[in-house]
Amino acid sequence: MDFFDFIQSITDGVLFGTTYALIGIGFTMIFGVMHKINLAYAATSIAGAYVSWAVGTLVPLPAIVTFLIAVLGGGAIGYLVYLCCFKFVPLSSPLATLLSTVGMLILIDEIVVHETDGMPQPYPALFDDVYFEIGELYGVRGDLLFIFFLSLVATTVLLFMLYRTKLGMATRAVAQQPVAAELCGISIERTNASTFVITGLLGGLAGAMIGASVGLLSPLLTLPVTVKGLIVTVIGGLGSIPGAIIAGLLVGAFENFFQALRGVTERDLYVMLLLFVFLTFRPGGIFSRSVGRD
Amino acid sequence: MAVLEINDIVTAYGKIEALKGVSLSVAEGKITCLLGPNGAGKTTLMMTISGILKPQRGAIRFNGQDLAGKPARTVVGQGVALVPENRLVFPEMTVEENLKAGAYLRRDAGKVPSDIASVYERFPRLQERREQYAGTLSGGEQQMLAISRALMARPKLLLMDEPSLGLAPLIVEDIFRIVRELNNEGTTIFLVEQNAHMALQVAHHFYLIEQGKIVFDGSPDEMEEDEVIKRAYLGSKV
Repeated sequence: MDFFDFIQSITDGVLFGTTYALIGIGFTMIFGVMHKINLAYAATSIAGAYVSWAVGTLVPLPAIVTFLIAVLGGGAIGYLVYLCCFKFVPLSSPLATLLSTVGMLILIDEIVVHETDGMPQPYPALFDDVYFEIGELYGVRGDLLFIFFLSLVATTVLLFMLYRTKLGMATRAVAQQPVAAELCGISIERTNASTFVITGLLGGLAGAMIGASVGLLSPLLTLPVTVKGLIVTVIGGLGSIPGAIIAGLLVGAFENFFQALRGVTERDLYVMLLLFVFLTFRPGGIFSRSVGRD
Repeated sequence: MAVLEINDIVTAYGKIEALKGVSLSVAEGKITCLLGPNGAGKTTLMMTISGILKPQRGAIRFNGQDLAGKPARTVVGQGVALVPENRLVFPEMTVEENLKAGAYLRRDAGKVPSDIASVYERFPRLQERREQYAGTLSGGEQQMLAISRALMARPKLLLMDEPSLGLAPLIVEDIFRIVRELNNEGTTIFLVEQNAHMALQVAHHFYLIEQGKIVFDGSPDEMEEDEVIKRAYLGSKV
């Protein structure tokens, strides 16, 4: 592999890694607010993309509308996951939601397999005919650049929501100190529900971006995206949004580098190894969270 | 006149009853103090009044409204705010964001900035640290922030759960000066304390709780004359 191939694979990886960053943000936000892992989250995200694909089979849609439907679909499914897996499940038992969300992950997969006969379905991309050549050996794919841009917009909107709106303040309050949040008059249940909707919207976008960059939707996507989302969450540090962003880009670059080096069938092995390296040497993630006095 | 009336409240954690039929009342415009040892049920009572814990039975009447079992946001909305034990500030929010969180339910958003300004007037230290994360404040500063956050809801009744816990004696003096100041400005205060000596200097009425039951109800004078309380809570010097 020469230098340009190296740079090229890292660039593509970082651009695609923004989808992992969004998935990681979703996992980490739900963990931050509820202190629970939602294992159905990546499935929610892919399911959001499937919703937009299903609508697209009924009426022809421009790609951008397909993406928008995926976002809304992800939000709706996120809320459903909250209702089915969290709202009526005893939260004091650490295993209950883990099992309910694994069940939901498998259920969503089964529905997708059933509805599509397990066949991959085509998914539209935007700007996949654009290619920015930089020099003779290096260039940037238009569709990946568009994905990068979408993630940037989504993350900016999310951060604005979290740090500049009342809903965001309530979300952070519940994540940091739930009893005090309640004492301020914030409803924990509503905040939990809104967090599932918001992360669902993000997930739907990530699902659409994954579908668009692969050109396909397949039930085989949910498991690797779940695993990579969890890896991003561990590397970024549970509960840390900046950590999830950096870790997402890192995992994207890492994965693409090993794909260029060792091929697509082998790359995930190295991503998994990265997980164990982090769990062993830096279990708190790249940003170990600052701890205040008292 | 009693602004808060608690009647036969029972609160349990699973099968263990932490409050076994507590009745007491808090007079309007006064400072009422609840004394008691660790594990007697003081915090459980505060959490039950605030709507964090739901009582198994009993009534909590605030200005005639029944608050027993109502969610915390209803209780705050009615004008009852709690300064919780151990302060519970939002550690990764700035001082000012903590104050804004305290005003979460306020409908008169336009008046919130002037309330924040008056908090800063009362606690200049908080103004100095307004952009700092609350988790980086000292214990005394966090206590002042917790009190201020509760005040941002403009409560008619302020519940305070051991505001002196873990603070240096000089800071404790400060906190009790503020308790008296707030009371002079018209806020009714219901205070939980273990520091009986400090409480004697501010409170108008005392209750003593032991093992989930009220075992004493009287004025500061009556309390000082009670032999049992004198020995157990005030030490031999009194």
